[in-house]
Amino acid sequence: MTMNAPTSRGMAEKISIRNLKFFYGENLALKSINLPLYEKKVTAFIGPSGCGKSTLLRVLNRMYDLYPKQRAEGEVLFDGGNILAPGQDLNLLRARVGMVFQKPTPFPMSIYDNIAFGIRLYENISRSEMDDRVEAALTRGALWNEVKDKLNSSGLSLSGGQQQRLCIARSIAVRPEVVLFDEPCSALDPISTSKIEELIDELTADYTIAIVTHNMQQAARVSDYTAFMYLGELIEFDETSKIFTAPGDKRTQDYITGRFG
Amino acid sequence: MSEHIVTRYDDELKDVQRRIAEMGGMAERLVDLSVQALTKLDTVLANSVIADDRRLDQVQRECEELAIMIIARRQPMALDLREVIGAMRISNDLERIGDLAKNNAKRVLALEGQFQSKRFMTGVEHMAELSLAQLKDVLDAYATRDVDQAFEVWKRDAEIDSMYTSLFRELLTYMMEDPRNISLCTHLLFCAKNIERIGDHTTNIAETVHYVVTGEALTQDRPKQDESSLTTVSYENS
Repeated sequence: MTMNAPTSRGMAEKISIRNLKFFYGENLALKSINLPLYEKKVTAFIGPSGCGKSTLLRVLNRMYDLYPKQRAEGEVLFDGGNILAPGQDLNLLRARVGMVFQKPTPFPMSIYDNIAFGIRLYENISRSEMDDRVEAALTRGALWNEVKDKLNSSGLSLSGGQQQRLCIARSIAVRPEVVLFDEPCSALDPISTSKIEELIDELTADYTIAIVTHNMQQAARVSDYTAFMYLGELIEFDETSKIFTAPGDKRTQDYITGRFG
Repeated sequence: MSEHIVTRYDDELKDVQRRIAEMGGMAERLVDLSVQALTKLDTVLANSVIADDRRLDQVQRECEELAIMIIARRQPMALDLREVIGAMRISNDLERIGDLAKNNAKRVLALEGQFQSKRFMTGVEHMAELSLAQLKDVLDAYATRDVDQAFEVWKRDAEIDSMYTSLFRELLTYMMEDPRNISLCTHLLFCAKNIERIGDHTTNIAETVHYVVTGEALTQDRPKQDESSLTTVSYENS
């Protein structure tokens, strides 16, 4: 049975996923998902490998469009507009919905240009304005103090944790409204992980965040809401405090307590 | 409940539960023996209660260490988390129950050689019987994860409270009858209060069982029947 997530909790839904189905060719990977992402809250997607959580995340900025034979049905309302509609401008969508991946993916260019690159795609601004934007993004990404003296060094010269924060700074430099994190810490050590989590905490002041993570403790630490998915279905969606202390569904309980056989 | 993928985790949780069961048995025995010591004014028995309480304290510390270790190593979630937190709470309550039994045993030593009349004991004995039955029931409820039974225990504590109130009045009457009764009756009053508090810890355990099983706190107000503090002084006019 697929549960329908409650939709009205007196909070603004930045994104409303309605009856979303997703196909890899003939394969149904998401079975009619209904889920809200509340504005300026962190929503975590958890579940075993292959449950569809990354697929769901990739729908939210239509990343799947890059691949043939992948298609989505249903609605994903972003501030009320359906992003699955054929007329959707994908570049604009991806500027509004940023994404950070599992492995840090800095461009093979300077730290400065890593940030400036995205901004140049959408805006034509003066050098001094650009300097300000780069500094602001790196500050927001909690990286400025570590890189301010070497902005012209390659982004690839940074440590893994720094590279990941560079990617986060890069995605927020274009001033998105939603940031998607696909296992952002799975390649990082615990200290870097804490820094990213601290950063996610700070970002909630301005952004709506969705995060896919295999680390249950991480979901418990960083998120306000948690969605548990299994075999392409949304099994349970609730406040994180509820999911991790007294989940409603036995499958959720078995998964988060380490009982899945 | 199905088992964890990591078998050691299951073993550790079972270990904690086993200690709670052990502590429960010990606490029951201490309460029972302390009341026997009191009603028979048996100082040998009273001394054994005082000595045995140390063992209960030790198991409580072990249980707590185990629980802390599980939290540190396994980061328990959902029912496992409630289980571990519940075990910590219950072990504290059982340790306190042991202390209260020990306090009653110490009163027996203080009563030695004093004016004694066993007719005064009846009320305390009845209270003790009821609170012991409550303790047995709540430990059963914990062992079987029976929320309904825990809830019954929780409600029934009111009976112990009203028994305490009437015993308070009764002992006051004996003291007014004959000043030679004052010393014994005062000691008995403290004993009765200790038993009443054993009842309170028992209801705490009932609340914990409810939380462990359902994930929700028992929030409604429990009917309070201990009015002894209002017996001599009118609350409104004070």
